[in-house]
Amino acid sequence: MMTLVIGGAASGKSEFAEALARQFASPRVYIATMQPFGEEALARIRKHRDRRARMGFTTLECYTGLATACDALPGNASVLLECLGNLVANERYSPDGGGEGAALAGVLCLADRCRDLVVVTNEVFSGGSDYEGDTLGYLRELANANRALAARADRVVELTVGLPNWLKGGPTQSEEENPH
Amino acid sequence: MMFVTGPLFAGKRDYVCRALGCTREELAARAVWDVQDLAADAPDAGALAALADRLAGYEVVIATEVGGGVVPVDARERAAREAAGRLACLLAQRAETVVRVVCGLPQTLKGDSSCWSI
Repeated sequence: MMTLVIGGAASGKSEFAEALARQFASPRVYIATMQPFGEEALARIRKHRDRRARMGFTTLECYTGLATACDALPGNASVLLECLGNLVANERYSPDGGGEGAALAGVLCLADRCRDLVVVTNEVFSGGSDYEGDTLGYLRELANANRALAARADRVVELTVGLPNWLKGGPTQSEEENPH
Repeated sequence: MMFVTGPLFAGKRDYVCRALGCTREELAARAVWDVQDLAADAPDAGALAALADRLAGYEVVIATEVGGGVVPVDARERAAREAAGRLACLLAQRAETVVRVVCGLPQTLKGDSSCWSI
């Protein structure tokens, strides 16, 4: 089952996605997409990785080339991917990125390979369209990926103030009985 | 009138085409979009209400949500964003049906969208 979780900054989307993914069967894999810049980021990443390990997730770091990285996944894995906004930026702007469309292709490949998948993505589309440089191009690509994944997903949920608004599908019985 | 709103690039016009059963080329005859950009030209509340009244004559009115970012530093941009939000509220009041589209998925906020083809 594939679930797309969308929300603004600090909307509670990560916690909600984690709560969904905690109920998955093993092996559970967390795919991290944020490139560590500096010691502070590295320390933060170590802290989060330890916390997730305690929840039974192994962490796979993947900044670009998700389609290839999928090969390293154990068979029948359940995956939490966070987040699409980073992945699109990495593929679009990193020297080793695959350019426009690579991020979506990677996630679709992932969706084909794993049993359960939760993808966290960003709502950054309500602040107008008056941007400089390539920002509008980035927004268009992220929005295209969001729509394509929403169409593919079994469930889509928008998080606001930590509360879920189901746009497609809804919680399973076990999720209802074990709210985060 | 059906009022459709949602974030940038959310698939609002595609949704309306599906709802009306028309092509993108045929849409211009039945719907008006990007009306958030028209609000800035209304000099006062009366003009904004008149604009909403005129737009309500269309079968479908589409506006992009633009009020979700940081308050613009520029006074004109600030006023334009404010007017766009007010216009959307006025349109929602005049609409029988209000639908918000996120990631291509429609959610009915007012009325009943089931009378439309999807």
